[in-house]
Amino acid sequence: MAERPDEEVVAIENVSKLFPSTEGRSTWALLDVSLSIRDGEFLCAIGPSGCGKTTLLNLIAGYIEPTRGELRFDRIPISRPAPERGVVFQEYALFPWLTALRNVEFGLKMQGMAKSERRERASEALKLVGLADAAQRYPFELSGGMRQRVAVARALVNRPRILLMDEPFAAVDALTRASLQTELLRIWREVGITIFFITHNIEEAVYLGDRIVVMSPNPGRIQETVDVDISRPRDRSEPEFGRLYAKVNGIFHSQGNPAS
Amino acid sequence: MTVTETDSRSHEQKALTPDLMEHIEESFRVDLLRRRRHRRVQRLMLNVAGVILFLIVWEVAPRVVPGVNLQMFPPPSGVVGTLWDLVASGELAGHAWSSLKRAISGFVLGSTAGILAGLLTGRLMILRDLSDPVLHSLRSIPSIAFVPLAIVWFGLGETPKIALITWGTFFPVWVNTFIGVRDVPSIYVRSAASLGASPSGIMLQVVLPAALPFVIAGLRQATAVAFVILVAAELVGASSGLGYLISFSHLVFRVDMMFVGLMALGALGFLADTLFAAALDRIFPWYGAEAR
Repeated sequence: MAERPDEEVVAIENVSKLFPSTEGRSTWALLDVSLSIRDGEFLCAIGPSGCGKTTLLNLIAGYIEPTRGELRFDRIPISRPAPERGVVFQEYALFPWLTALRNVEFGLKMQGMAKSERRERASEALKLVGLADAAQRYPFELSGGMRQRVAVARALVNRPRILLMDEPFAAVDALTRASLQTELLRIWREVGITIFFITHNIEEAVYLGDRIVVMSPNPGRIQETVDVDISRPRDRSEPEFGRLYAKVNGIFHSQGNPAS
Repeated sequence: MTVTETDSRSHEQKALTPDLMEHIEESFRVDLLRRRRHRRVQRLMLNVAGVILFLIVWEVAPRVVPGVNLQMFPPPSGVVGTLWDLVASGELAGHAWSSLKRAISGFVLGSTAGILAGLLTGRLMILRDLSDPVLHSLRSIPSIAFVPLAIVWFGLGETPKIALITWGTFFPVWVNTFIGVRDVPSIYVRSAASLGASPSGIMLQVVLPAALPFVIAGLRQATAVAFVILVAAELVGASSGLGYLISFSHLVFRVDMMFVGLMALGALGFLADTLFAAALDRIFPWYGAEAR
């Protein structure tokens, strides 16, 4: 088994997902979607609401099962959530009854790691996201940006292969978001992890992603995949940045009305 | 140093040197502490004043309202002697302790069962649907209506009283726990699953703490219920307890003694609730903080 440079971590093959909608009807949240997530890449998924991007993330996380098709992680079919696939949500999903440190420790504790060892690893993870000083604070004592950084640490402490992020910075202000983006790229490089990042913000996708999957609704599907071949650190005022922004924006607006 | 209060307030402001900043911060802190202390003292004094005011009204009212018999409605001055006698003889403490033991035993049993039932019915759809009509029907029967049945079944000892309180406290704890568990944000459960928690780990380490505000609301409700049932049970068939003291006073026509029993019940209830609130702050510093 030769190691290919582009080895895929997650394989999504002809996946469809049907959801119940009102009055006993049903809608295709995803229809025949295929996608390969490569080891170590930063993949962004973007699209209007209803395009199925969160459904796609929930499928990879193992929260729901596809109606048709198959999802594999490291060649093994995905059947349930697991620490190898860390998740960071849009809303604040930290446990309010635990301090930041204990939130980060939670996964290790659940997996039965001894206290001293898990404490050490949790402290390391908090340091990685720049929150070593906030270890003993409760979520309600942290700002929105800090909470999301703790959430990233909580997922990373399990040493996942892939980090699934569902619009994680949508609820924070623009300045905080910019610094969180920069920091996420630093962590991504330092840890050498694969990231699947959902956003509805074109600029965020072009700034962060190696590739951008543009999705469209009714039924949810992948419209186009755009390679972002700008070297990092990226400068939002660069012409190349503007060109790609315009390209993604163009795909967005070409979506028109597929109902016709 | 010429940094005085008038300086810092004057219109032509001085340069904000580190020294000056420290001075301003220091006086700000002192002022803040003073105001907080003042607020605490004020609250305490008003609390005490409220009690005194209540006692005065109680003392005066039976005397000025025409047609009131002081035997039937004894003022505090008429009760305090009886209170002192009952306290000095240890009789009051004995009755209070009997009542408290029953209330606590029943409360612990009932709320433990209520929390367990709430967790199970809140999490498992099959159990929820299976138990729904039965539990809600039973819940609708006022617990006091079971007093005669409890006496028939268990006699006049401790068992019927504890059983009744267990029964009565079970329902509010169950219903509240159930709602809390059912409405636990799915995002917590999903996070925990992704972090590697097992189903039982999710139940105990995530669902239970997430539902805790509801559980606590249920427990608090249950303390009040426990006292109601306790007294109802003691009024009917008991040889000790505050309820017994009240019903005995009735037999010997001692309204003043009855008042002592009522006051003791009020004091116990108030104490229980205060302890509850204090324990809450200690054990769950995050509780209620989200809403703050």
